[in-house]
Amino acid sequence: MTVQLQPPFRYVGHKRRVREDRRFVAGGGHYAADLVLPGMLHCAPVQSEHPCARIVAIDASAALALPGVHAVLTGAELAAATEPLMNGANTPLVVRYPLAVGQVRYAGEWVAMVVAESRAIAEDARELVRVEYETLPFVLDGEAAMAPGAPLVHPPHGSNVLLDRHFVWGPVAEQFAAAPRKLSYRVRWGRSSTVPLETFAVTARWEPTDAVLDVWASIQMPKFPDQIARSLRLPGNAVRVHYDVDVGGSYGVKRGIKHAVLVGHLARALNRPVRLVEDRLENMTGGDMQGPERVFDVELAFDDSGRVQAMKMRALDNVGAYAGRSPFQLGKPIGAIVGPYAIAAVEYHALAVASNKTPQEAVRGFGQAPTNYALETGIDKVAAVLGLDRLEVRRRNFIRADQFPYLIPSGTTYDSGNYHGLLDKTVAVADLFAERDALRAQGLLAGVGIASCLEPSGGNSSFEPLLNPANRTTTWMESCRIHVDGLGGITAAMHTTTSGQAHETLVSVAVAEVLEIPPERIRVIRPDSLASLPSNSPVGSRMAIMLGGAAVRAAQKLRHQLMQIAAHDLGVPLLHLRYSEGDIHAPDGRKLSWLELVLIAHREYFRLPEGMEPGLSASSIYMVPTGGQLPLDDKVQMYPCHSFEFHYVLLAMDPVLCRPEIRRYIIGHDCGQVISPDVVKGMTLGGIAHGIGAALLEEFSVDAQTGQPTAASFMDYLLPSAHEVPRVEIVHQVTRSPLTVFGQKGSGESGYLGSPAAIAGAVNDALAPRGVRVDQLPMRPALLSDLVAEGTSA
Amino acid sequence: MAQALAWMAADPDARLLAGGQTLMPMLAMRLVRPSKLIDIARIPGLDRLEIAADRVELGATLRQVAVERSAALAEAVPLLAKAIRFVGHPPTRRRGTVGGSLANADPAAELALVAVTLGAELLLHDGSAVAAVDFFLAPMTTALPEGAMLTGLRIARQSAPRRGTGFREVAMRAGDYALASAACEVTLDAAGRCASLRLGIGGATPVPTLLPLAALLGTSLTEAKPAIAAALAPLEMMSDGNAGAAYRRRAAQALAEQVLADALAEAMRCN
Repeated sequence: MTVQLQPPFRYVGHKRRVREDRRFVAGGGHYAADLVLPGMLHCAPVQSEHPCARIVAIDASAALALPGVHAVLTGAELAAATEPLMNGANTPLVVRYPLAVGQVRYAGEWVAMVVAESRAIAEDARELVRVEYETLPFVLDGEAAMAPGAPLVHPPHGSNVLLDRHFVWGPVAEQFAAAPRKLSYRVRWGRSSTVPLETFAVTARWEPTDAVLDVWASIQMPKFPDQIARSLRLPGNAVRVHYDVDVGGSYGVKRGIKHAVLVGHLARALNRPVRLVEDRLENMTGGDMQGPERVFDVELAFDDSGRVQAMKMRALDNVGAYAGRSPFQLGKPIGAIVGPYAIAAVEYHALAVASNKTPQEAVRGFGQAPTNYALETGIDKVAAVLGLDRLEVRRRNFIRADQFPYLIPSGTTYDSGNYHGLLDKTVAVADLFAERDALRAQGLLAGVGIASCLEPSGGNSSFEPLLNPANRTTTWMESCRIHVDGLGGITAAMHTTTSGQAHETLVSVAVAEVLEIPPERIRVIRPDSLASLPSNSPVGSRMAIMLGGAAVRAAQKLRHQLMQIAAHDLGVPLLHLRYSEGDIHAPDGRKLSWLELVLIAHREYFRLPEGMEPGLSASSIYMVPTGGQLPLDDKVQMYPCHSFEFHYVLLAMDPVLCRPEIRRYIIGHDCGQVISPDVVKGMTLGGIAHGIGAALLEEFSVDAQTGQPTAASFMDYLLPSAHEVPRVEIVHQVTRSPLTVFGQKGSGESGYLGSPAAIAGAVNDALAPRGVRVDQLPMRPALLSDLVAEGTSA
Repeated sequence: MAQALAWMAADPDARLLAGGQTLMPMLAMRLVRPSKLIDIARIPGLDRLEIAADRVELGATLRQVAVERSAALAEAVPLLAKAIRFVGHPPTRRRGTVGGSLANADPAAELALVAVTLGAELLLHDGSAVAAVDFFLAPMTTALPEGAMLTGLRIARQSAPRRGTGFREVAMRAGDYALASAACEVTLDAAGRCASLRLGIGGATPVPTLLPLAALLGTSLTEAKPAIAAALAPLEMMSDGNAGAAYRRRAAQALAEQVLADALAEAMRCN
């Protein structure tokens, strides 16, 4: 059990400069594409032009004849030399290599990789690679892919269903039979993603004398070195991933395992450093970076007061051409399947279906935002059916503050929360309903959107064994090592990559709080994977909890070592000593300063306690606070901590043009004890911007006739710009988690988890006077305008 | 200028490069493969801005930002000042040119819509001129003859005291290509009735199109809706992944009504 540090805090929660900002703003970041190695070769992929086809022949002779071309690697050659990429689902016959082998399964899939002296030559050469295809029938829609007779994406698997899990938690049938009211509905979440400014980039170098593969990659991938080594049939200690590369944005998608395995193979085979930096078209079509695409069918059983007693939810996710980890995105939301509501019984049917689309990858929230959208839509519908206020229906269903810790039907215990308190505090900021009515009086369609949802945080892997019992992975650690040098300088190491989440700020503040030394004096480094302690990666809104926890634990061990040294040197029992800002004071007025303690540890061994190792160093490998048990009876404790956010949004649009404009965005946010206020604020604002994109603009559309991607650049994939993102008013509440070192919870997904639901609710409130509803995202102007004009719903 | 024309004549696969805001991305994506690029941005005088009593002339390589920042031009041709802020974003307007936008003939181009709406003329290197309504033939297709160079845009100044203009558009995001746009210039007589009216539609139609609204002359312009609908009825509306033809027709109607109302309100404020 973690001993929690209590406020008041010296550094935690104080507004301070985010230490990474200066580096990034001043152009001092070091990205994978900045690395230039002597003799480095460059790659350009040959991509499939068909969504489904047999590869009859590949003729690379003309490409190889071009001066400067070193190799054209095909899938058959690569498959012979490597093991398949990791597959999270229990589908051993769904085999995946970095390049297509024998058959292509989506338009944009890599068929061959050209390696040349320069990227330009590689691009010239790839146009000369002749691939002969025999086209095959394809399927793009998830429901169509499940239908009998649908073309099979992986014929050996025998079906397009990659995951089919059915859970019943609590007396669902009884509640539905007894409930006075029921409703059912369908919502669709369109295929969008996080779209980092930096595309995927990786450089690999093979050192034949040391037999080690060095990898510099733009990644946010759990167990990345292990996966590369396994695929390349190398010992784990023959892959050295350099975590000190800055990653130019990710929020889930920078997995890049196929890129790294391929480039690693090429570097060994050619004995030259090789790099692959995707351009935007390659990233969007063949980078495997698109997010969930879901159809939810939901039934709710509720009473006349609007209290929801039971829910049935079927989530069908079109995961694209290969499995990877994407089916697990149906699993993580099980840990907050009832949201902030006291729903006693739930039936959940999770279906991951393959199609001839780009494979799906992890996206911010790992499936939680779509699930929240489905649930919040239902709460709004309950209110509409009963003619009740949407705020009141939420109040009636919220878990009360005095009910925590609260066990939900699917086996997770929520750590803490005060949902009623934050709702009241947020709506007290403004009467958006009155502002809405004033806009309506001007002839606009105007609506108020509401969403209340959780951000499960402190990510573990409990969904893996829950969805796939053959997978017994439950340990998801994070680590920190602190070292004090001979001159008293403090260096703290974290052991994974960082993609803009301000982990250096986090570690320095956490260590500073324990050692009572200003964060500016603490250096934070990211050694390579061979010099690292076990770690996982910055996913699942976990680093404030996990890396913060590891940093505090390591700092506490170091502080204890200092106390032991002082107790011995001063001849005073440890309990009588007082630690203050690095110095240790005895009751009689004697003290040992920080520098004297360092001197003893590093140079004056005769003053150390007997048996103590010299030097000052401590480390912690921190496990998720609630541990990692295997599921029991289809139930499991998912993430430990549960942040809460309440969105309250005013939106208006012209009744013909129907281009939604957000007039006011108020969010109540509670992530427990805040560690770095500006970091949390940045996460929340960015998350809301991301949600605006998912709700109104972004979609990886595909032409239904040809299977070709139609949003393959920033011309057609519409990210919200500064014009579309409004000023956001943030209301703070602090409900501490009892499970973490400072009482903190996660905030890496904040804003995004509820904003699509809130904006969708606002659009529907705006459309309500016209008798029209939309239950699909994104809600684009033409869709809305056409529905208003026709008086129909979608 | 002569050198540029000679190079063009010698090589039919050469392309002129002005501000590069369309051509450079197309080159990066390998969508066009010219044999040569002829950079005309430094041809002396081609970036002129002349504001005379009866007309203004904008050189082909005049940067869009210069249009945006000229107070004298805004006073002479207020519709241009309203429209220019919808052209891309500040960074693209710093490089993008007047002539580049016109010669590219994107259906959504704001400058092309203003040119058609105001009855402007496009000037060619040989001293000839083509009326804007005759210049835009189809999306990305103009009447510019093979081997010719667009050198500028000439707009006659409207001298009526009671004048108003309006420009609006709807796009997926601010700065995106317009799904539909509308531009209007109206003048009123002493009695407040419509003395002249020019109202153009862009984005929705394959080329910017002036609506025939002569029936509204002499009226108070408060009942323009049916006339606009009738003028739009025969026009072909474009359709793409962002919006279908039905949306564009409704949007064109709504925007036309709105810019007319804007222009009328502005004209009524002049005394």
